[in-house]
Amino acid sequence: MDRERFDHLLAAYGGDFGRWPAKERAAAAAFVAQSIEAATALKEARALDDALDQARAEPNVSALAARILARAPRSDMGFDRRAVLALAACAVFGIVLGYGGGMLAPADMDDGYFSAAFEAPLLIGDEG
Amino acid sequence: MIDPDADLVRNIGAGDARAAEALVHRHLPRMVGLARRMLGDAAEAEDVAQDVFLRVWREAPRWKPGAAKFETWMHRVALNLCYDRLRRRREKPDPDAGVNVADGGLLPADQWLARQRAARVDAALAALPERQRAAIVLVHYQDLTNIAAAEMLDVSVEALESLLARGRRALKAALADVVDDLIGDADGAPRA
Repeated sequence: MDRERFDHLLAAYGGDFGRWPAKERAAAAAFVAQSIEAATALKEARALDDALDQARAEPNVSALAARILARAPRSDMGFDRRAVLALAACAVFGIVLGYGGGMLAPADMDDGYFSAAFEAPLLIGDEG
Repeated sequence: MIDPDADLVRNIGAGDARAAEALVHRHLPRMVGLARRMLGDAAEAEDVAQDVFLRVWREAPRWKPGAAKFETWMHRVALNLCYDRLRRRREKPDPDAGVNVADGGLLPADQWLARQRAARVDAALAALPERQRAAIVLVHYQDLTNIAAAEMLDVSVEALESLLARGRRALKAALADVVDDLIGDADGAPRA
């Protein structure tokens, strides 16, 4: 790096080598180490950086953040997804169990059970 | 290139409220800061930042990782929104518009001085031509790389460096007394 290139980059990026093009940083640091004039120019550039940093205060954005988040997209399945899936699994299990239990019952006894269940109270009522 | 926001944006697209909260926490202060320095108006800066995030909410379901980081896209949106507002100001000037003057109130001397200095810097930034101001804001305050900043301004890196150099030269002239004060503070010399 020569003085002309150093001055060009210093004028643009200021005194913090972290803002300089990555491939120029090491050469710039080496150049400053061997040039008193470059070191003086770097110090002046850093003084302007410090002045600019006087206006670096972070804004308080908590109220704004709340307003923005109130309009953020939300999935209906988002928060309660596991609960919904658990309910669905229970429903399927119940249907399978009920249907399977019905299939396993002796077919020829079905009608008799129903008759006994519904007719018995009726007979009792007639007696009264 | 690894985009640190990629997972968050994908999850926001799927309706994950916590991902939205994390993205806001990570980027909102920087978006407000960028807009405030570009516009010199805190209320307008909040409007711009809100518009940026409303676009994020809208675009997130369709977003696909590409060549540019998501943060770079957000900066580009914010900058364009600022340009829109600055253009409207030129077309229809607001007589009440202006850089906010620091309100000293009843502050301790050092805090009052810090506010005055910040107001001076804000005023000096506001006095720069738009393109120079944008270059300074993107590189100095937003810490973007020269390549990202040049891309955002649609200029070459050499043109960006020219904008930065002219901007810094104007700021150095406008803030000469602030710079001297800070050097005096650092050296422990009493201020005049």
